[in-house]
This record gives sequence, C-alpha cells and structure tokens, in this order.
Amino acid sequence: MKRVLSLVLVLILTCAIALSASAEGVEDALKAASAMTNEQLYEKAQAEIAAGAQLNFYSTTSFAEKAAANFMEAYPALAGKVVYAEIDDGETYTKLTNQIGSGVKDSPDMALVQNGPDLKVNLLEDGLSLNYFPAALAEVVPEKYQDPAVVTFINSLMIYNNKEGSVGVANVWQLVEPEWSGKVFFKDPTNETVNLNFLIMLTSPEWTEKMTKAYEAFYGKAWESTEFASASYQWIDGFLKNVNYTFTSASKIATGIASGAAGNMGIFVFSKLRKVDENDRGNLTVLQFENDVDCFSGFMYNVYATVCKDTDCPYACALFINWLLSEEGFAGSKSWNSSQGYYSPNTTILKPEGLEDQPYVYWDGKLVFEDLDYIDGLGESYNDIYRFINVRVSK
Amino acid sequence: MTTIQPNLQKEPIRYRLKAFFMKPANLILLFFLAALAVLSLFPMVTMLKNMFTVHAGTERKLLRLSVGSWTLNHFELLFQDREWSRANFFTPLLNSLIVASGSGLLGILIGGTVAWFITRSDLKCKKFISAVFVFPYMMPAWTLALFWTNMFQNSKVGGGVVGMVESLFGVCMPEWFVYGLFPMIVVIGLHYSPFAYLLIGGILKNMDATLEESATILKARRFTIIRRITIPIVMPAVLSTFLLIFSSGFASYTVPVFLGSATRTFTLSTKMRALIQAGYEGQGYIIAFISILLGTLILGVNQYFTGKRKSFTTVTGKSGQVSLVKLRGGNWPISILLIVLTMFFAIMPLFSFALESVIKQPGNYAASNMTLDFWIGTEASAYETGMPDGILMNGMMWMGLFRQVGLAIAVSLIVGTCGMLIGYACVRRRGTWLAQAVENLAFFPYLMPAMAFGTIYLAVATGASFKWMYGTFFLLGLVASVKFLPFASRSGVNSMMQIAPEIEEAATIFGVPWVTRMARILFPIQKSAIISGYLLPVINVMREVALFTLLVPYPRYLLTTMLFSFNETGYSQYGSAVTLLIILIIIAINALVNKLTGASFDKGIGG
Repeated sequence: MKRVLSLVLVLILTCAIALSASAEGVEDALKAASAMTNEQLYEKAQAEIAAGAQLNFYSTTSFAEKAAANFMEAYPALAGKVVYAEIDDGETYTKLTNQIGSGVKDSPDMALVQNGPDLKVNLLEDGLSLNYFPAALAEVVPEKYQDPAVVTFINSLMIYNNKEGSVGVANVWQLVEPEWSGKVFFKDPTNETVNLNFLIMLTSPEWTEKMTKAYEAFYGKAWESTEFASASYQWIDGFLKNVNYTFTSASKIATGIASGAAGNMGIFVFSKLRKVDENDRGNLTVLQFENDVDCFSGFMYNVYATVCKDTDCPYACALFINWLLSEEGFAGSKSWNSSQGYYSPNTTILKPEGLEDQPYVYWDGKLVFEDLDYIDGLGESYNDIYRFINVRVSK
Repeated sequence: MTTIQPNLQKEPIRYRLKAFFMKPANLILLFFLAALAVLSLFPMVTMLKNMFTVHAGTERKLLRLSVGSWTLNHFELLFQDREWSRANFFTPLLNSLIVASGSGLLGILIGGTVAWFITRSDLKCKKFISAVFVFPYMMPAWTLALFWTNMFQNSKVGGGVVGMVESLFGVCMPEWFVYGLFPMIVVIGLHYSPFAYLLIGGILKNMDATLEESATILKARRFTIIRRITIPIVMPAVLSTFLLIFSSGFASYTVPVFLGSATRTFTLSTKMRALIQAGYEGQGYIIAFISILLGTLILGVNQYFTGKRKSFTTVTGKSGQVSLVKLRGGNWPISILLIVLTMFFAIMPLFSFALESVIKQPGNYAASNMTLDFWIGTEASAYETGMPDGILMNGMMWMGLFRQVGLAIAVSLIVGTCGMLIGYACVRRRGTWLAQAVENLAFFPYLMPAMAFGTIYLAVATGASFKWMYGTFFLLGLVASVKFLPFASRSGVNSMMQIAPEIEEAATIFGVPWVTRMARILFPIQKSAIISGYLLPVINVMREVALFTLLVPYPRYLLTTMLFSFNETGYSQYGSAVTLLIILIIIAINALVNKLTGASFDKGIGG
C-alpha cells in the first residue's frame, strides 16, 4: 500500500513539475525570442514544426486569415502549419479559458483578441496566456501598446445615409435629441464588449470633462447635476434611448444603413464598408470627414496578440507576431492595411494613399480610445456602470 | 431423473436476481438508468453548483472572491435590484411566456386544422399539401425568421431596408407585424405546426370512425359531431402538442435574436446568453435552471391532464372504415387556400433564399444585380466579404458540411439504436418503476432548452475532469445524442407497443437468442417505424444551432454554426446560400430514406 501511495505521490509531483516547467518553458522561450532576429526565430520555428507542432491561432478579425497566408508564403517551411480559426467576440474568453491547458487536440497556441480588460482578467492575470513583444520594435511602437501587445487598432465611426443630404451633426449631444429616436444604429453593448467599453470609457474623468464642455457648447448652458452622476451618464442614457438594434452585427449595420432609409446613422466598424455593395457606398458619409464633431465621432479599440501558456511552438508564435507588427505583415496583399479602419501600432506603417482614411494619429482626440487601465481599474464600480447600461438597453 | 428444485425459501433474492438478470429488457433498463442518470442528472448537479459559485473573470473581479468559492451573490444581483431583475429576468420571462403560449396556440390551430382536412375530409391535392406542409419543420426555425424579415422589412420600419413585399407590391407592413412578439409567435407557430399536424393527424387517422358515423346516423349536425366527438377524442393530443410546442417556443433562442432586437424584445434565452457572455455566468445558470423548472412543470401538467405521456402519440387500433367529410362546393376554395398557404410558408422560403443568395445589393432584384459569385465565385471574382470564394468552392464550408452530416449520422445511429432498445425494454417491463424511471429520464432532456442544455454541458466540459472533451466532435455527438433521445425513445416505445408480446415469447420458447429475436422478428415487423426513429435525429442535427453554438471549437466548425455566424456578421448572401443547401440536404435525405425503406421522419414522431 505504502509503495502504491509513494508511487502516486511521485507521479503527481512529476506531473506538477512537468506542467510548471512547461509554462516556464514558454515564458523563457518568449523572453529569449524577444531578443532574436526573424532569421533566428525562423530556424527555431522550423525545429518546432519538425517536432510535430502546428501553430493554431484564434482571431476575432477575419483579415488575420490572409495575414497567415502571407506569412506562410514568406516563410515557406511553415506552409500549412499556421492554422487560423475565427472566433466570436462574445465567446472568446469562455473558449480560451477552457481550452488553454486542457490538452484538447488543436487547442490554440495564440490568439488575436479584442477587449483588453477581459484579456487581462481572464488570461494574463491567471497566467493562462503570456505577453510577447519583440525588443527590436520597442522604438517604433509606443510603450503602452507593448504589454499587452497590440497588433492592430480598429475604429468604429459615425456613418450616415446621405441620400437626402447631410444630417448636420456637429455635436454628440444632438444624438440624444428626440429627432434621433430610432435612427441611430448600434450593436447591443451587452452583446459586444468593445461597444460596452466605449460607453464605459465615456465615464472616465477625461471624457466626462469633454462631454460636459460639449454639453455647454450645444445647449448654451452649464451641465447641472440632476438624476445622473455626470454629463456622460446623461448622454449614455439619452443615446441608449434613441438607439435602434435592428441590425445585430456591424456588417448588417453597414449594409443596412447604406441600403436603408435616408438620414439613418450607424456607429459601426469602419472597415465593414468593404461589405457594402459598390452601388451603395456612395450613400454613406463618414461624419468625421464632413464635420469635426464636438466631442467625438466614434471610438477606437485594440486587438491584442497573446500566447497561450501551453503552446508547443512559442518561437513560431513570436515570429508570427513579429510578422503582424511588420510592414510586410500588416501592409501585405489584402491584409489589414489595405482596408479602411485598421491601423498598426508600428508608427512607421502608414495607410496607403488613395484610401479614404486617415492615419492613426489623426483619430487621436476625435475618437474615444479604449483604455485598458481605466476599465480594469474600475473595480466594483464596473458593476454599477454595467448595470446602468444593461437596464437601459432593455428599455 | 431427478430434478433439482431451487430452494426459494432459502435463497429467494438470489434466484429473483438471477431471474431479473436473465431478462435482456431488465439489463437494458439498468444500463440506461445508469447512463441517463449520469448524462441527464450529473450536468444538472454541475449547473446547480454553478449557480452558487464564483467564476473566473468578471465575477471574480467584482466579488473579490477566489474562483469556485460559494456565494449567493448571483441570486441577490438577479432578484434584489428591481430595475435589473425587470430588465434581465421578469420582462424577458413574460415575453418568453407570451411567445410560447402564442406559438403553441397558433401551431395547434394551423396544424390541427390541416390535419383534420387531410385525414377527415375529401380535400383535393392531399398528397401535395401533406408532403409540403411538413417542410417548415425540416427547416431551422431561424431560417423562417430570416424569410419573414426578407419578405416584410420595409422603408417605414427598422433600418428602412426594402423587403420583397414592398419591392413587389409597394406595401409597407407596420412595425409590430415585422418585428417583435407577433412575428416571433407566427414564425415559431408555423415552424411547429407540422409537428401539431403529425401528432393530431396521427390520432385523427387512427380514430375509430364508427363514433362519428353513429352520430351522423342519428342526424347530428357536422359541427356538433366535431364539437362533441372529434374534439374530445383528440383533446389529450391537442393539449400535449400545445405543451410540447410551448416548451420549444419558450426555449427558442435564434428566432428572438433575429426578430426581437429591433423592438428590444428580449426573451429569457437571449438574456441568459447575454449574461453569460458578459461574465455573469452565475445569473445565466440561474435563468437556465428556471427554464428547466418550468419545463418540468409543463411535463407535470401534461401528465396530469393526459393520464400518461404516451397519449400524445399514436392511438392504437384502426377503424375498419373511415368516412370522409364531403366539402362539396367548398372543396376547391379550401384546397386552393391551403395550397397557397403551404406554398407561401414551405416553398417560398426556398425561393427567397435562392434569390437572396444571388443578389449583390439587398432589395434590388433586377437581373443586373445578380451574381453567382456567392456560390461559385473564385478568389478573383468573389467579394471582399471575409470568404475567399463562393461557398461551393470553399474548403471550410465543405468541411463544415462533412462534419455536420457525419455528426447527424453518428447521432442518428446512437439515438436510433438507444431509442429502439429503450422502447423495447420499457414496453416489455411496462408498469415497473424501472421502466417508468428510464422513460422519464430519457424524456428529461426535452424539457431543457437547447441553449441551457449546451450551457450545462459547457459547464461539465470545462470541469477539471472533463476538459479533454471540450471542443471535440465527441462532445457534440454526446450532447446531441442525449438531447435528441426523447423523440427516438418515444418512437421506440410506440413502435414496440404495436407488437404483441406473444410473438417474441413464442420465439423465446423455441430458444431463439435475444439478438436473433430482435434482428429477425421485431426489427423486420416494425422496420419502417424504427428507421424513421433513426431519421428524425438526422433532421434535428442538420438544423440545430443553439445546442452547438457554445460547444463548437470555432463558429465555422459545423455548417449550421457557420450559417449562424454568417447571419450574425452580415454575410447574408452566403447565409442564404448555406440555408438553402441545408434545407435541400434535409429534404433529399428524407426523400432518399423514404424511397429506399418507406420510412419518413413523420412516422418517427408517431404520425
């Protein structure tokens, strides 16, 4: 009996050591990878692939599929070994937290995810995934986008149907007025975290101040505390009253606004304009390109790369993240940069000419940028803000 | 020769046990009792635990408690705050109840009426109406919801996108007609009306016609006969069908998503998913549990009113002669009306999906706006819509189709076989607590909303012991097998009840082994009904979304989850193309099996 017990104990200890060594192994590998050149990483990645590994990655953005195809063309020894799987935003963390460490066949090695606060609380803080950022790019990517590593920014803009001319919106407070009731299309924030985060960001001191000023500019009087904690809460309340949820996805909003009633406005992902039929695109006007809206004309969120703690190909993951952050990767054929609404954190990569868009820096101050630290730092008051939004969505 | 007599006084239990285990029916029942107790009850226990524990992510962060620690916070959050509970529980509950009741009534009204015309009258074109009327049941419910919006959306409601009716006739339907509770009731009611048709039709078809004939001889008026004889006879079936449709309507998830968002008409299913996705898993599980409680209540009501649950299916014993009611001058008008109605709800959606899958710009049905790129487009010609090519040229779509068909076949084999064995064992041991327990346990998954069922299995598969199952084909097969077992077991019970036990007993006396008795006697006698029991799960799996959406490793894993993902993300043309493909595959499978074996899915239900 004693022998059996000791054998079991030894087995348990061995497994525990092996598991922790595995996580540490990935962490060490990523640290080492950070200082390597792409050629060195390619060699290491080839060795991983030769040992039977395959880089499975999840992404909420479909452009990643093309980026992976371009990556395998650039690194032919990895051909067929980088496998993309699309994942719905709402299910991202449920799936990742369950799959990482499960040993399930083809479980992800890395993921491109949105909603930074959830990434932090669900994966990074629990050590389920690890951050990787190449030291070589430290000079060209702002520090705040290095940990967790941002691979692209995506913006959602106010875009309207111009069939009957301009809607004349120059101040965000116009959107809470009764004439906009049912005419603003927005994805249900309780089902889309980036939309939720946008509204939460408005409650930050910085945006509350801007909202208060915009209120004064629009109504010609100072904002006074009534039933709402701040001008931002009042705007959220009025905005959610006016919102129309007919279209359940950004793409549907884009096509629906384009082919729908004149004067309708949507706040949706700019890049979804590619889903709109060419004949209809002329029906759409990006509000920001018409007016410098007081105080914002949409929002910007981040897509992060994160490496799963149990990957058996950390060097291949590192090489792929390097690729996504590079000119060839981000601006390759039919990749992110070829579309409106995607911006690289690598400041050396600019939007191509001829595209109706502006560089990332242009949007700074015009859009509500997602701030991981603010949302993550809300603590218990997060619940109060979520409750405020949730009950208004249902009204 | 001396015969050794067992000493029953000394060792009665031993011999009783021996006798008990000698009967294959008992062994089958014991096996399924154990298996179903694990597969149905264990997930339930896991879900109960999840209602009281802290989950990773948002809950852990908000409650500042470690993951897995016990808490009543989920209940407090869901029920203490009046505004929150109204938004997330009571209003959605009320909506769910309205949708469920309305669709139950509508389903009965349409299905029952058509069933009566088909079985009890001399209606024209019966074959056509009967064959086509069941199409909506073969389609995923949300495809009808899409059809509804494609037809009736207009420039005055929602986003102002022009639909077919406005485009062709210039008519704009009001908002309540296009979005919200009314279309939800209509769509779910229409989806399940074939179900009512098959169940009530089965009773009407097998009803003893002498009762009606006696009344006719006694000069009773036709309406009086229907009111005093026909309706009371079919009432148990009507009530059971209503409750079954009610239960399905209550659990519906996809239809409220498509038709309710515009008017903010949320149901319990949509709220449950939203809460789980927002990180409030505990509250989501509470809602799932309440849905199951309601399902159990429905089963209780059903059993109370019908005596026993089997009465919703076939009444055995056929009348020697069935006299059909002569519709006389009303025959053609009624026939034409039914043909038009069935064409509208069964054939039109197919045309609508075909049309929507080839137009570039929504609402513009001109030939110049049409393309086959969404079907057969290559990288050069296809649109930049996230799919590199048309669906027939896309490897991922073929893989999704292959998996879906593979899953349907696997589930069909498991469920059909289990259903037949359960049916055999329950009928042979009818009246024992064991048979009753297995029959109830096999039916229990029906009471769980598909969404809740998926969520429960998600909770189980994320537990430490079962993580290996997560995201696997095995898990999908297991979950689908348990979920779709109820109808197969009902079908098994019904078919076995029609076989007199003397036939098997005669073979037993001659020493024919059990396997041979099953293969050579029981199966051939009820071949058609048993094969139908295998066919029904194929159709269920081929159109299922809500059950799989949380369990697939990624949205494009199965054809139906891919389709839901297309529709959610706005690839409407691809969505329409895949929808059409799914419906055609289901119809083709049904037709093929019908041609080869004479079985069809309606017989699997008990029609």
